[in-house]
Amino acid sequence: MNGSSTLRPPWADVSIIGIAGSSGSGKSTLSHAIVSKLNLPWVVILSMDSFYKTLSPESHRKAFLNEYDFDAPDAIDFDVLVERLRDLKAGKRAEIPVYSFEKHARVDKTTTIYSPHVLVLEGIFALYDPKVMDLLDMKIFCEADADTCLSRRTQVLRDVRDRGRDIDGIIKQWFSFVKPNFEKYVDPQRKVADIIVPRGVENQVAMSMVVQFIQQKLLEKSSRHRAALTELEIAAESEPLSDRVVILPQTSQLHGMNTIIRNIDTDSEDFIFYFDRFATLLVEQALNNIPFAPVQITTPQGYQYAGLRARGQVSAVILLRGGAALEAGLRRVIPDCQTGRVLIQSNVRTGEPELHYLVLPRDIDAHEAVLLLDAQMSSGGSALMAVQVLADHGVRPERIVLATYSAGRIGLHRLTTVFPGIAVVVGNLERDVEERWVERRYFRC
Amino acid sequence: MSAQQDRLEVAPTRPVGPDYRSPSQKPAATVSTDVDCETVTILPQTPQLIALLSIIRDKNTDRGDFIFYSNRIIRLLVEEGLNHLPTVARPVTTPVGRPYDGLAFEGKICGVSIMRAGEAMEQGLRDCCRSVRIGKILIQRDEETAMPKLFYDKLPEDIADRWVLLLDPMFATGGSAIMAVEVLKSRGVKEERILFINLIASPEGIKNFATKFPRLRVVTAFVDQGLDEKNYIIPGLGDFGDRYYTM
Repeated sequence: MNGSSTLRPPWADVSIIGIAGSSGSGKSTLSHAIVSKLNLPWVVILSMDSFYKTLSPESHRKAFLNEYDFDAPDAIDFDVLVERLRDLKAGKRAEIPVYSFEKHARVDKTTTIYSPHVLVLEGIFALYDPKVMDLLDMKIFCEADADTCLSRRTQVLRDVRDRGRDIDGIIKQWFSFVKPNFEKYVDPQRKVADIIVPRGVENQVAMSMVVQFIQQKLLEKSSRHRAALTELEIAAESEPLSDRVVILPQTSQLHGMNTIIRNIDTDSEDFIFYFDRFATLLVEQALNNIPFAPVQITTPQGYQYAGLRARGQVSAVILLRGGAALEAGLRRVIPDCQTGRVLIQSNVRTGEPELHYLVLPRDIDAHEAVLLLDAQMSSGGSALMAVQVLADHGVRPERIVLATYSAGRIGLHRLTTVFPGIAVVVGNLERDVEERWVERRYFRC
Repeated sequence: MSAQQDRLEVAPTRPVGPDYRSPSQKPAATVSTDVDCETVTILPQTPQLIALLSIIRDKNTDRGDFIFYSNRIIRLLVEEGLNHLPTVARPVTTPVGRPYDGLAFEGKICGVSIMRAGEAMEQGLRDCCRSVRIGKILIQRDEETAMPKLFYDKLPEDIADRWVLLLDPMFATGGSAIMAVEVLKSRGVKEERILFINLIASPEGIKNFATKFPRLRVVTAFVDQGLDEKNYIIPGLGDFGDRYYTM
């Protein structure tokens, strides 16, 4: 990127809320209460339990005898935690380790977190490490007196159910580690908290304060995002389109197909037939923008030919729902194309794009080229976000080819300003604001 | 120079790729020979087309891939060929209620395939024109005279009123294609209404046609270097019918 302009999607720059407090102080109950009060999609609770270090053989033996101190900061892998939080803050995908309390070790699989609006980091030491503190937008300390904590802790049911421990072990841990550690490490976190919440979820006043603060933060972010989009729009009027925007040659066949596709009186059978035919040409043209390498061929007669071959794997990402109308065309050209799917919708209230669904091929960052398919692009909002999603998953913009049946100048300009490396193949250059009628006609609803 | 060395020689190459890339960013490949003839249309020499041709030229490509990738090129050829049909203005209203200056195609078309390799191009034609009529012509070499001879034809009755897309993938000397055109003309088809669609042509074949049928249009993906002593196209892709149907 030449850095002329950048645009972060509204879901980058996640707000992170840290909730600390002694074991049994009601942190996770409070976290869940905040999530349900916020009533937003894309709020994720991240438990620091996931970041327990994998134990050495010696510690491992102790752990099984309940002689290992899980309630000291040393047991937490803060380096990995900070790294993951920074990734999420930068809008990138983060792989979160999964810790097994039965085995006292991280298991092989990870869970993926991407694009939450709000992340609640919950753990005894959420406010302990200064590097973590730097990343928090709000710091909460949950307070409960020692008696309550002990009684909750010895609600054996909880630990046995959730963590696969036995009763003797829990009591042994409480007296050797939990209580002494509370005074040494946990309680001092009160001093750095923004809010101290006594009595946990019963405390309605504290709850609504927290929720209001988060809502205010999200609103600010949303207006910043829309202001950035408007700025890009103003520039579009004066500047020519990027040379990486390829518009299909307007031949008479193309014009004729467009006439059938656009005629309101065309029946669905014809519409779908001609749209598929158009889509096939569009995908063929898109493939001219992927990387090729020279190859020497021998023909059956033994002659040599200096040809080309695609340098590596080409996959596709369908921008739902419109992009799915181009899928028949895609399959005619690459029948077994690995295909990811993204659903980005504009919020009716704020106009801000929201990521609803995302499945990508696992190794998409290693593919030589990724075709991003959408039927129509007008403001470019969702295409922009889709490219950002791919970039956050390690796909370099120079490897992305967006193919669309129609696009407006403003949308094209926005997209190529933010991502100068991307190539765009456009069936028709259109008015700037165009309803999404193609998908409606193609899917007939 | 022996014939063997001759075969290993490679035609000159040039960088191939989209305009926005600098020549150093484009890989080099041999592209179609230029032809100075108005009636001949060669598909744009895009990297993707060269890659498709590389696959079907390769002797190691299996039959399944040969069929799939030649179909992709044939579709592009048909799409290009149809551009030569006459059009009329057709204003329409779009689904969002705006007027659109549309275009409609005038005149009926039909396909005529030269058996058997030409029949391999019928699927590509049908992919673009759903219920198109397709005639067939069988021409084989006469054992006694060594000249092409018409063995069979079955053509639409009203072919004289139609534009004809004549299908034969390999355009070498053009011997059978010339005979096929003569059959079509004898049924009343106008020369300027015939589009000869083929994958790979030779400069010799194109020259023969330009002399004999100056108004007939040829649409091809690639004009190769020339013909060898057995009249095979160099470098060509072998026997198209065999590779598509039986190999």
